[in-house]
Amino acid sequence: MATANIRNLNCSQVIAEAIGLEMERDPRILVLGEDVGRIGGVFGATRGLQERFGDKRVRDMPISEMAFTGMGVGLALAGYRPIIEIMFADFVGVCLEQVYNAMAKIPYMSGGTVRMPMVVKTAGGCIGSAAQHSQCLWGLFAHLPGMKVVVPGNPYDYKGLMASALTSDDPVVYIEHQSQMGKKATTFRAGAVVPAERYTVPIGQAAVVRSGRDLTIVTLSACVEHALEAAETLAGEGIDAEVIDLRGLVPLDMATVCASLARTSRLLVVDEDYVSFGLSGEIVARAVEELGPTALRQVARHANPDVPVPAAAALEQAVLPGPASIAAAARRMAARS
Amino acid sequence: MTSLFEHFKAMARLRAFDEACLDGFHKGEIHGELHTGIGQEAIAAGMIPSLEAGDALVSTHRNHMHGLAKGVDAHALMAEIFHRETGLCRGRGGHMHPFDLGQNFSATGIVGASLPVALGYAYAFWMEGRANVGIGITGDGGANAGAFHECLNIAGAWKLPFVVVVENNAYAISVPIRHVLATPTIAERAAAYGAPGWRVDGTDPEAVAEAFARAMEHARAGRGPAIVEATCQRFQGHYEGDHDSYRSRDEKRRMKAEHDPLAITRRKLVAAGDATDLDAILAAAKAEMAGILERVRGEPRPDAADALRYRFAS
Ligand SMILES: Cc1ncc(C[n+]2csc(CCOP(=O)(O)OP(=O)(O)O)c2C)c(N)n1
Repeated sequence: MATANIRNLNCSQVIAEAIGLEMERDPRILVLGEDVGRIGGVFGATRGLQERFGDKRVRDMPISEMAFTGMGVGLALAGYRPIIEIMFADFVGVCLEQVYNAMAKIPYMSGGTVRMPMVVKTAGGCIGSAAQHSQCLWGLFAHLPGMKVVVPGNPYDYKGLMASALTSDDPVVYIEHQSQMGKKATTFRAGAVVPAERYTVPIGQAAVVRSGRDLTIVTLSACVEHALEAAETLAGEGIDAEVIDLRGLVPLDMATVCASLARTSRLLVVDEDYVSFGLSGEIVARAVEELGPTALRQVARHANPDVPVPAAAALEQAVLPGPASIAAAARRMAARS
Repeated sequence: MTSLFEHFKAMARLRAFDEACLDGFHKGEIHGELHTGIGQEAIAAGMIPSLEAGDALVSTHRNHMHGLAKGVDAHALMAEIFHRETGLCRGRGGHMHPFDLGQNFSATGIVGASLPVALGYAYAFWMEGRANVGIGITGDGGANAGAFHECLNIAGAWKLPFVVVVENNAYAISVPIRHVLATPTIAERAAAYGAPGWRVDGTDPEAVAEAFARAMEHARAGRGPAIVEATCQRFQGHYEGDHDSYRSRDEKRRMKAEHDPLAITRRKLVAAGDATDLDAILAAAKAEMAGILERVRGEPRPDAADALRYRFAS
């Protein structure tokens, strides 16, 4: 651990390191995707892997997502453990068929006789590229049964969850946040220290990244850092927020969420994904189911209000959660309580 | 026939437009990404003479020049790229998503997704018996999307007025197209769709104009789809900020020295004894686009309070 602090990698380097360690361990792992080989991915998350493992195991694909996502299914059936990179989450529209009708359903349709150890690795979230390159879509994947959905929000988890995804016998959708790929580990409030050696973070376990008494902010991905920043501001105003990083949607760790709510009884779900019919509603529904209809004193959701992400910066800011808007949402709750 | 001089003038405007965008981008005035078509001007310019107002053109992430060729107002397009209320889409779409219904022009940021939309226009024109054409633009990379095959098969089966223009700049981001093509050219796939296909030098506006005119006549006459593959080089990185480490310094130097459509056309004009002051043409184009950029800079950006507007018609 001594060297870990001074390594100060960015998140994409951390992911490449995780994949490299798994590929060394397991020769059945391969990476197929656009620009993943020669340049190591447009976000750099597979950098150096083609040089180390050759261009059969790390292959630059043509812009043929339907074909190479389906190839992932075939490779998994043939005994391999493919990582299929869909450059931006938005592009899954082109190949959703292979994702949800094949990859996600085959294990069940086969009566459990077939395993699908495949990882769909993609980048979601917004860095200012408007409606077709800014979506999170984790709620979509989670709605479609059969896939585990993993959404890390800090460097430690990027590495450990990739290791878990690559050892899972179930299909895993692993969603990075575009804005975090170039971000240095030491700039993170949580999970900044990344050991050089291999380790895993279990899929389906949320983490309490800040403890607090007054309300529980449940979130994931880049919004965890936003929520932690908001919580610091709120602390100065006498509002003590607990922040939970879900680290994924399927399986959903409601035990951690409910344990927190049992203490705070105030729930604020923050989600960069669309608000309706998605993660935030699911959290609220399950909390009510598990704790009973009277256990919560306040419930609020702060998420994209069902708008395609606009191009103009001011509009984008108006529809996406950030530290200031999260703090404002918490203040509104405090004012009403 | 359009003279080489006219082509030069058109290309000068196209380049000046994207150079103005670059200027603004590098001053931090565009939120998000930018893809320019610098180096690829001869393709859009070569299309101009055969495009009619009633034709429809659907382009890609690298669409500015195609929009201008189709007659989209340069100011409205630039204002959109700079996310102004005065832009084609009131700053909601941005540079990858311009929509101009009046000119039958649109684009998409999803690679390969332009062709199906152009095919929709082609079907409408065919039903209505109109002598118009739906033109879908794609890069070489986009030609490997399944939609390319699906669209050309449909158009070939029903003889729809559909023309595919492939801007083959040899790369899809970092992936050299020759590594991922089953055939030496994309144009030769036309045989599979009962269509003609031409591969031309896309740095030569006259060659593009000739092939595109033939393709458009073919489609307009009700004989079905056609493919025009135009080879070219993209001078900038894939997007602004791309490290572009996949092309060697030497490759990039030669590309600019040997494949610049403006320089090539200029040399031809001079060799043919054209006495016009070509520098003045370039300067006029630059001044026009710089003027538009100045105007755009003074225009209002969308107000955050309007973020939820325009989601539904009612
Ligand atoms: C379906 C889909 N896959 C991947 C991308 C990411 N992407 C954007 S442009 C591009 C390369 C396109 O290459 P090409 O079609 O040759 O056009 P060029 O950029 O060279 O003009 C890629 C892979 C995308 N936008 N859409």
